[in-house]
Amino acid sequence: MLARSTIGAMAVAAAMAWTAPGAFAFDDAQYPNLKGQWIGVRQNTGGGQPSFDPYKKWGTTQDAPLTPEYRALFEANLKEQAEGGQGTNATSTCLPPGMPMVMNAHSPMEIIVLPEATYIRVDHIRDTRRRIYTDGRSWPAEVPEGFDGYSIGQWIDTKGSGHYDLLEVETRGFKGPRSYDASGLPLHRDNQSVFRERIYLDAANPNLLHDDITVTDHGLTEPWTVHKTYRRNAQPQPIWIEYICGEGNRLVRIGNENYMEGADGNLMPTRKGQPAPDLSFFPSAKK
Amino acid sequence: MRYRDLIGALVLAAAFVAAAGDAAAFDESKYPNLKGQWRRVPVPGVVGQPGYDQYKIQGRTQQAPLTPEATKIFEASLADQEAGGQGGDPTYICRSPGMPRIMTVYDPMEIVITPETVHVFIEHVHDNRRIYTDGRDWPKLIEPTFAGYSIGRWTDSKGAGRYDTLAVETRGFKGPRAFDATGIPLSSDNQTVIRERIFLDPADPNILYDDITTIDHSLTRPWSVAKKYGRAQAKQPLWEETNCAEGNGHVEIGGQGYFRSADGRLMPTKKDQPAPDLRYFKQGGK
Repeated sequence: MLARSTIGAMAVAAAMAWTAPGAFAFDDAQYPNLKGQWIGVRQNTGGGQPSFDPYKKWGTTQDAPLTPEYRALFEANLKEQAEGGQGTNATSTCLPPGMPMVMNAHSPMEIIVLPEATYIRVDHIRDTRRRIYTDGRSWPAEVPEGFDGYSIGQWIDTKGSGHYDLLEVETRGFKGPRSYDASGLPLHRDNQSVFRERIYLDAANPNLLHDDITVTDHGLTEPWTVHKTYRRNAQPQPIWIEYICGEGNRLVRIGNENYMEGADGNLMPTRKGQPAPDLSFFPSAKK
Repeated sequence: MRYRDLIGALVLAAAFVAAAGDAAAFDESKYPNLKGQWRRVPVPGVVGQPGYDQYKIQGRTQQAPLTPEATKIFEASLADQEAGGQGGDPTYICRSPGMPRIMTVYDPMEIVITPETVHVFIEHVHDNRRIYTDGRDWPKLIEPTFAGYSIGRWTDSKGAGRYDTLAVETRGFKGPRAFDATGIPLSSDNQTVIRERIFLDPADPNILYDDITTIDHSLTRPWSVAKKYGRAQAKQPLWEETNCAEGNGHVEIGGQGYFRSADGRLMPTKKDQPAPDLRYFKQGGK
């Protein structure tokens, strides 16, 4: 019996051993099974586009704790959208959603767990692949800026079971403009957002994934925390739709105006009384 | 000695067994080490944007084995570009370059290996790929994409007990796609089949090759090229985000390509290019 126990222990150790330079046996059983396709769970909020807080409808009902300045910006944006414009929703021009909007999962999500990094893929507007570095690195002296931000994570075994069950992530280093959802709920133009996430499987249902996101941003009066849920698609070979924003996007931005390309290929206004684009560079238009 | 041999064999076997639950121990050492950041290796004397054959300048010098019909389309593309247009290059308004052009690797590449899928991540326009290595068959219906649907198989060509080559086949395309920025066209029927052999240089593990063969109805024969990438040596390479729409001044209206001036007005890109039709506006443009 003693020999069997010894052999068993050595076998487990072997599953973790170095076997060749530059590569090692990666025991993915140590990590939660996050494979497959994850679909954002939309709570019963009465329709519309996915929202940052999925328990509330997008837009004003999000009850975002905005500062007075950013509430005014948001209201002006809603007015512009009501008149046919796009407001502060930058994704209409195929700029990436970035954080946190990418985690609204307008398109299905894939999570790839490896020892050095966890990747999150969402193909919406931009073919995002978030890199969450879990290799123990420190924050760089100069954090690179991007719409997705720079993420450092740490796996935690909260139950002492010998298996990781929680990924804690901090993300900094942004550029913009970014909004929380397609209603244009804006993040601060200084791009000093910090996001903290707790990503974990549901204790009762391993096909539900949760992401508790807390955003700290100068457009807010206080940190804002939401609880997101994703459902694993049961299909063993799910279809991954390719989303190319530049394909079939009829919105045309010229100057500060958004127009629409009609089915006949001609430019159309998007709001009442919208001025036509300035064609002073075209000699033929001056006739 | 016999007892030690038994334990040694059990240890090796343990490296391959399912450890727990529904996840198996993933022995990365079975696969070549493709971690890190890969960049296309520049070729002395080859200037301008990179071509499908990276050892030749893009465009006519590629000597693409085009059919007569495809040659006409290509020459029309070059003429349009000469006049200020974009010709047959669809990427200027942020359409994906698609395969095989994705493997030109305009921006740095990362290859992430899992047992079921090899993920290829490249910034640039929309250049990520999934290569399924889970043993699946070709689906009856493939949703067409610019990147195509890729099935791959790892092989141990040397019998060394370790994979060294990834053989890939890709089908299921949409278009338009071109081989390079000059607009060397792939056929509008999108029946392209692409076969690749991806492997490390046996003499230098920081050099990666992708031998690509494209079979397409725009070609008189399969067209094979050898792509070569070098691994960056930085321990924590910088992955710069590239967003095509950010700062892109190109605009397409009614099939015509225009440009946004620095002050936000619309500019022609070709001599005597007609202005867009403003019939839907009550007052005309200035």
